Amino acid sequence: MKKGRMLALALLLFVSMVQVFAAPSQELIDAAKKEGKVVVYSITSRIANAAKAFETKYGIKVEAYNLKDGELIEKVTREVGGNISGADFVICQDSGRVYGQLIATGYLVNFVPDSLKNVIPAQYQNPLVFQFINKVFIFNSEKTQTPVIKNVWELTEPKWKGLVQFKDPKLEGVNANFLTMLTSPEWSAKLAKAYEDLYGKKLVLTTKNAGYEWIKRFFQNGLILGNSDTTISENIGIKGQKAQTLGLFVYSKTRYDEAKNLALLPMPDVQPFSGFMYPAFLQMTKNAKNKNAAKLFIEYLLTEEGFAPWSKDVGSYSSNPTIKIDPDDKPVSYWAPRLVFEDPAFLFENRADVEEFVNTLSN
Amino acid sequence: MPAQEHALALDSHSRFGFRRIRVKTANRLKYFFRKPHNIILVLLFVSLAFLTLVPLFSLIRDTFIVHPSEIMSVRGAKINDVTLFHWKKVLLDGTKSFKLFYEPLWNTLKVSLFSSIIAIFLGGSFAWLVTRTDMAFKPFISVVFIFPYIMPSWTLAMAWLNFFRNKLIGGAPGLFTALTGIETANWFAYGIFPTSVVLGLHYAPFAYILIGGILRNMDANLEEAALILKASRAKIIARINLPIIMPAILSTFLLVFSSTMSAFAVPAFLGTPVRFQVLTTQLYRTLNGLNPGYGYIMAVVMIVIGLLILAVNQWYLGKRKSFVTVTGKSSNISFIKLKKMRPVISGAALFIVAAIAILPLLTFVVESFILAPGNYSFSNLTTQFWVGLGREDIGGGEPGILLNKSVYIAFWNSLKLSAVVALVVGTVGGLAGYAIVRGRGKKLSAIVNNLAFFPYLLPSMAFGAIYLSMFAKPIGFFPSLYGTFFLLVLIGSVKYLPFASRAGINAMLQLSGEIEEAAIIMGIPWRKRITRILFPIQKSSFLSGYLLPFISCMRELALFVLLITPANRVITTLLFQYNEKGWNQWANGINLLIIIAVLSINLLINKLTGASIDKGIGS
Repeated sequence: MKKGRMLALALLLFVSMVQVFAAPSQELIDAAKKEGKVVVYSITSRIANAAKAFETKYGIKVEAYNLKDGELIEKVTREVGGNISGADFVICQDSGRVYGQLIATGYLVNFVPDSLKNVIPAQYQNPLVFQFINKVFIFNSEKTQTPVIKNVWELTEPKWKGLVQFKDPKLEGVNANFLTMLTSPEWSAKLAKAYEDLYGKKLVLTTKNAGYEWIKRFFQNGLILGNSDTTISENIGIKGQKAQTLGLFVYSKTRYDEAKNLALLPMPDVQPFSGFMYPAFLQMTKNAKNKNAAKLFIEYLLTEEGFAPWSKDVGSYSSNPTIKIDPDDKPVSYWAPRLVFEDPAFLFENRADVEEFVNTLSN
Repeated sequence: MPAQEHALALDSHSRFGFRRIRVKTANRLKYFFRKPHNIILVLLFVSLAFLTLVPLFSLIRDTFIVHPSEIMSVRGAKINDVTLFHWKKVLLDGTKSFKLFYEPLWNTLKVSLFSSIIAIFLGGSFAWLVTRTDMAFKPFISVVFIFPYIMPSWTLAMAWLNFFRNKLIGGAPGLFTALTGIETANWFAYGIFPTSVVLGLHYAPFAYILIGGILRNMDANLEEAALILKASRAKIIARINLPIIMPAILSTFLLVFSSTMSAFAVPAFLGTPVRFQVLTTQLYRTLNGLNPGYGYIMAVVMIVIGLLILAVNQWYLGKRKSFVTVTGKSSNISFIKLKKMRPVISGAALFIVAAIAILPLLTFVVESFILAPGNYSFSNLTTQFWVGLGREDIGGGEPGILLNKSVYIAFWNSLKLSAVVALVVGTVGGLAGYAIVRGRGKKLSAIVNNLAFFPYLLPSMAFGAIYLSMFAKPIGFFPSLYGTFFLLVLIGSVKYLPFASRAGINAMLQLSGEIEEAAIIMGIPWRKRITRILFPIQKSSFLSGYLLPFISCMRELALFVLLITPANRVITTLLFQYNEKGWNQWANGINLLIIIAVLSINLLINKLTGASIDKGIGS
């Protein structure tokens, strides 16, 4: 008991020391203040709160814009490609496209603040990851607190027909990425095994592999596609519904439970996956006008203070491991074996095929 | 010698003749340009060719090249390579093409047809009731009936969902189910039926305005003459009223069909739950996703369909002459007495406008004040979304609408943009109408007429995409326009020119030529003829050429969505973003603001000039 407390104290000391080290250089602050302004495009709306805090702290004006992932990629392609000044840096998602369309072309430039080079794990440094976001199977927990499924193949059974919701993969790249990853050798093998575990017999394929097969049956079992994860979270979570429903959506939406009177609980132990997790990247644009202010803001966003708008809720995981996560949540290391991650190279090669396949599936 | 003399004579003769021809052409040119309408026609021809035909070619070129986002799907290709990949995939790839293109195309045609019929039937009936009968509550009905057009179309779809959503998508039941206990059928709540109805309601004011304008100006002498000749009511409608309004019905059909064909947000909201796909939802996905090439092909197809309808329209109009309905002589309109049916019809009409125009407004008001969705009890009301400082646990701390900086900026941008576009379009369109009618029968006039209408057939989103690729780099003396306010004004002006030029043409067609001829004989200069005679006579028609673009611009989304840079975003893009995120309270509130703003401006202009959109685009 005492040992544990000591350890915690040591950890706290270490964290605070890192924080001291993490301070940006006065030189950078001065240069950033001289620029006086920074423009950021972001896929997360909470950037607005971080921007406000950053403005108060440094007196540097922030123009923060919240865009959808595909929209952001298109805008950056146009603006950097045409050398038109737009964003100084971006928070973007959708690995396949970000790598292929923005990083390979040199439109986005990686920048890791010196103070964080020893803090952020090396594998998250190029491209620099801002945070991980997870979308997990979440059910309406008004009547029962126990998870309502154990295996994803259950969702292809008549029992769940028309009771499952998922955001239209046409509207958000990361959803299409998730489906694409399922068709990879690794995940299709896991899906095939999960099928055998559940039904005690081999899966009979009508498509290329178990990944495609699950997607097909999942979609054809009356899957309801939505326009927004927020709306889906309300559709699933509202109390007083007769049918037991569930959805696959952003875990952080459960933060609305209290204010909106919703009943939502995640299911972290579904076989072979409980959802998916994807990185949001922090990248500077090649033609950034306010380079120093951008660097300062990037550094700020990777500190506990700058990440506050995200860290106070479940479902956001900074790439900086010293930043504490919400006490109700578990760290990335907990989620990693339970969720499907993006592989940019595989996505780049296969996403178009999977999108096309999904488009041919009707109810 | 005589031969030589002869040759010389010939020579001098021919030389003389040549000079005469030259002088003649010069004279002809001088004469040609002495007429103001010819100058206008030439200017319009040059600028419209640049602003509409060049984009068309650029669009067609885009269907054959590899775009930056297509390197994922066109294997081994480099950006800007020439390829037939897109055409093959869209047209010739079996089931995939069927799902990607043919089925959405078929759905698009069905939706467009149904909504055109709904719009014409509903709008036409109301136009007839308001202009030709003694129905009660006319002033109220004629103002309120145009509300659905002022609202951004997808907000009506949101209202539909608020009302009729069923357990298919879960969540709180719709108001209808909550009140009556009746569960709506899926076909009723989602897919082709609600999409067609909502679009039909949204564009019914078109029919109302276009058909109403003709009916209002129609000389009652024709009807009276028929009455004197003892023609039956049915015969009068069939032989007099219908032929006169036929061009308006056809115009409405053309306009509504093209508009619904390029409508994106309504099918996106009402179709997604049942995976009902139309061309625009595919277009949006492909333009913003991995395969813009597919999208450009779909845009070309939509333009071709539009052109076909236009051709049919012109073939019909070409068969007959236009009717001069404003002769400068006085004409009285006699109202048909509804007699016993008056209270019934008036009540029914009132009920319908309340249902389609007032009820959605009420839901917007209510929805913008409730905290937990679906709970309409008094304790759940909050002013959080109007004047709240922003709560971390709802919508990520976004402040309420009236305290929200981005709402003000976007709103101001929208107002500015709409006002500038309206001024440009109204003026150019009015002049275009004048020039086209005065030059009638000449080839140039016909060409300009078609060019001025052509932008209407370009699907908004594709039009935006083309302007984006055209103007993102400098062309000749034109600097890069991407991200400028000017680019938004430019595309808005071109896109809405058809409204104003149609209004102008129709206004001029109704005016008998004698009026201007009389002024010419009196030696009154051109500018005075326009400002003192023609404009005042058809003031309401010409002014509608300013008002309609203003309103359309205020609630336009698809046209601007690709061209907006975050720094110059307009209110509709902000609204759509809130809708997409599911932050419905903000969305409903902003929607209310748009409607209130447009209505007040309409009212203001009405008080100042006597013109208003419900008075008609004059034909």
